[in-house]
Formats: sequence, structure tokens, C-alpha cells
Amino acid sequence: MTALLAAVEYGGDFTLPPVGELFNFESALPLGINRTVVLTLLATLAAAALFLVAFSNAKVVPGKLQLVAESIVEFIREQIVLQIIGVDGLKFVPLLTTMFMFIWFNNLLEITPFVNFPTTSRMALPFFLALLSWAVFVGLGFRHHGLGYLKDVAFPPGVPWPIYVLLTPIELVSTFVLRPFTLAIRLFANMVAGHILLTIVFLATHAFLALKFPGIIVGVLTLIAGPLAVGFELFIASLQAYIFVILTAVYISGALHPEH
Amino acid sequence: MTTSLVILAAEGGSDESLQLLPDTAELIWGIVGFALLFALLWRVAFPSLNQMLDQRQQAIQGRLTEAEEIRTEAEELRRQYQEQLRDARSRADEIVEEAKSDAERIREQKVSDAEQEAQSIRERAREDAEAERGRLVQQLRSQVAALSVDLAGRIVHAELDEQQHRSLVDDYIDRLSSMN
Repeated sequence: MTALLAAVEYGGDFTLPPVGELFNFESALPLGINRTVVLTLLATLAAAALFLVAFSNAKVVPGKLQLVAESIVEFIREQIVLQIIGVDGLKFVPLLTTMFMFIWFNNLLEITPFVNFPTTSRMALPFFLALLSWAVFVGLGFRHHGLGYLKDVAFPPGVPWPIYVLLTPIELVSTFVLRPFTLAIRLFANMVAGHILLTIVFLATHAFLALKFPGIIVGVLTLIAGPLAVGFELFIASLQAYIFVILTAVYISGALHPEH
Repeated sequence: MTTSLVILAAEGGSDESLQLLPDTAELIWGIVGFALLFALLWRVAFPSLNQMLDQRQQAIQGRLTEAEEIRTEAEELRRQYQEQLRDARSRADEIVEEAKSDAERIREQKVSDAEQEAQSIRERAREDAEAERGRLVQQLRSQVAALSVDLAGRIVHAELDEQQHRSLVDDYIDRLSSMN
């Protein structure tokens, strides 16, 4: 806002487009294919290409690309699945790896040159991924414990009976409603905020660097802030992918071992 | 302008606001993309990865087994070398002891021989001295006899006073001393 007011005061033409223009793209192709869909498929293709090329001719002594892909799988397997779920969670490594790569690559579009748009800042992907996570952990819970899963969720052990009057509704809503909701909103909101942040920084640099003193000072500051913001968003993009997957692993673990 | 930054919830709403509900086409294509990625990773990438990991595990296991065998062999060789070294040291100690014993024995033998030699030399020297003494006594005896004969001859042929007599006896004794 400060930058905006400064631009007006010192005669700059810094204006931000309506927020919808930053996120909503019209469908220009059949089957509802718009810029978001194309970018989603490209990100998916890039993630698939990384793994297919890395593992198509996997060597015992890995090359650089194979080492990168192996490190990602190793990270998901050792730091998330084994740490949180345990050995019986190893069968979820492909799913969680896919989830991580899909979110991460779609997030990274935010700082990809000439793209600069995270497809996860549209609700479709966070909604689907949260729904998938919900379906997996709820399905696992009922599959492993039957209706007892509902009882395990609604009545956590070790709590005095009167407390259940308050706790049971909270637990039911928290597990079956709020979990997918918060998963989707967290990812969506972070990427929306990141995209708006970068847009402001880049547009401000473009507008204010053309001004004379003192407006140019704002331009210089936003020019310096640009790379920092990109670095920060790289961190956020990676962190959000990690958080989404680790929470899914926590929910899966809770469904497999509700007594914990 | 400032209102453009306000994020509004929209239900399929205007293009100027942020949509909080998923777009159907984007949702379907997102599901398709995710499903394709999951299928590729699950059916292609992970089997290849697992196969490679099995090979790596076997290779590492093989190297470990080989290393363990080599280590065992080296341990056996080390044990044998230590045993040989211990035997060699023991043998060397025995040799040194034998050498010391031999040296002592030889030394004692040499001392004994030397003592016997010295004793023999002393015996021979004593015998030689004894023989020489006998020879000298025998020679003295014959010279005394000759001198006695010579002295008796002189006493007979000349009258001797006391001074002459003393001088004669001294002369005799001097001559006798010089002969020894």
C-alpha cells in the first residue's frame, strides 16, 4: 500500500490489476483447457520426465539426475514415511512421492521464468489433493478398523467420560471436515499470497525505476527485494509441498494406528 | 485501486475476484495429470528404482561378504604370521642359549687347557731347572776336586804363613762364588 501511495504521490503509473486477472484465465481451447491446465500438465510432465529419465536406466552407481531423483524418494521414504508411519507405511511411498512431486512442481511454477504462476494458487489442485488425502486416510481407517475407526476418532482413550460431550464433536469435525479443509486452504492461500507478493514487487520495480528521485528509491528497494522474494517463495513452495505430504502421512498414520 | 487487492470469495463469481471454489475443467485436468504421474511413478519409475535398489543391495551385500572373507583370511594369515614369529623368536632364544652354553663350555675348555698347559710348562721348567742344577752341582763338584788337588799341590810345595794361608782361602772362596 505504501508503494502504491508513493507512486500516486510522485506521479508514477504504478497500478495493480484486479486480483482476478492474476489468477483467473479464460479457456481458449476445447475441453476447458486454459493457461492453468496447460501449466498443470507441463509441471506434471516435467515431474514425470525427471523420474522416468532418472530411473529408465537406473544404475547401481547413480548419475547426477538419478541421484537427485533417488534423494527425493529417499527423503519421502526415510524422513516422512518411516519416521511418521513406520514400516507398514512403505506401500504409500509411491503415492506420497507423487503427491510431493505434483505439488512441488506446480508450486515452483510461481518462480519459473516466463511463467510466474503457481497452478496451486487455483483452488482446483489443492481441493483435489486434500480430497485425495482425506479419502486415503478415511478409507484406510475404515478398512483396518471397520466402524471401530469412528469410535476411535470420536472417543479418544484416556479422557474422562464427561469431557466426551465436548471432545467428540470437536474430534469428528476436526478429523473428517477440518483436515481436508485446512490442507486445501493452507496450500491455496500460501501460493496466492506468494503470487501477489511477487507481482507487487515486480510491478513496483517496473513502475518506480522509471521515476526520478525520490520515487526511484522505491524502485531500487523493490529491485533488491525481487530476488529475495523469489528466494523466499522458493522456500515457501518447497515447504508447502513438504507440509502437505507430511500432514497426509500423519493422517494415514493416525488411521492405521488410531490408538497413538 | 486499493479495492483490487481485496481478496473476495466468489462462487463462480466475477473475473476480478479470487475464486475460492475449484474450476471444474482445472479440477478434472488436475486429476488426470496427477493420475498419469502416479501411474507412471507407480508402474514404471518405482519398479525400475526397486530393481536397481535390489541390485545395489546385492552388490553391497556381495562386497561386504567378500570383504568379510578377505578380513577372515587376513586374520588367519596374521594369526599364522604371529605364530611363526613366536616360534622364530623361541627358536632364536634357543639358539642364543645354545650359543651361550657352547661359548661357556668352550671358555671352560680353553681355561682348562691353558691351566694344563701352564702346569705342564711349569713342570718342564722345574725339571729343566732341576737338571741344570744337577749338572751344575756335578760340574762344581769336579771343579772343587780339581782345585783341591791344585791347592794341596801348592801347600806341599811351598811354606805358607798365616797371611798367605788366609789369602789362599779367600781366593778359593771368590773363585768358588764366581763359578755359581
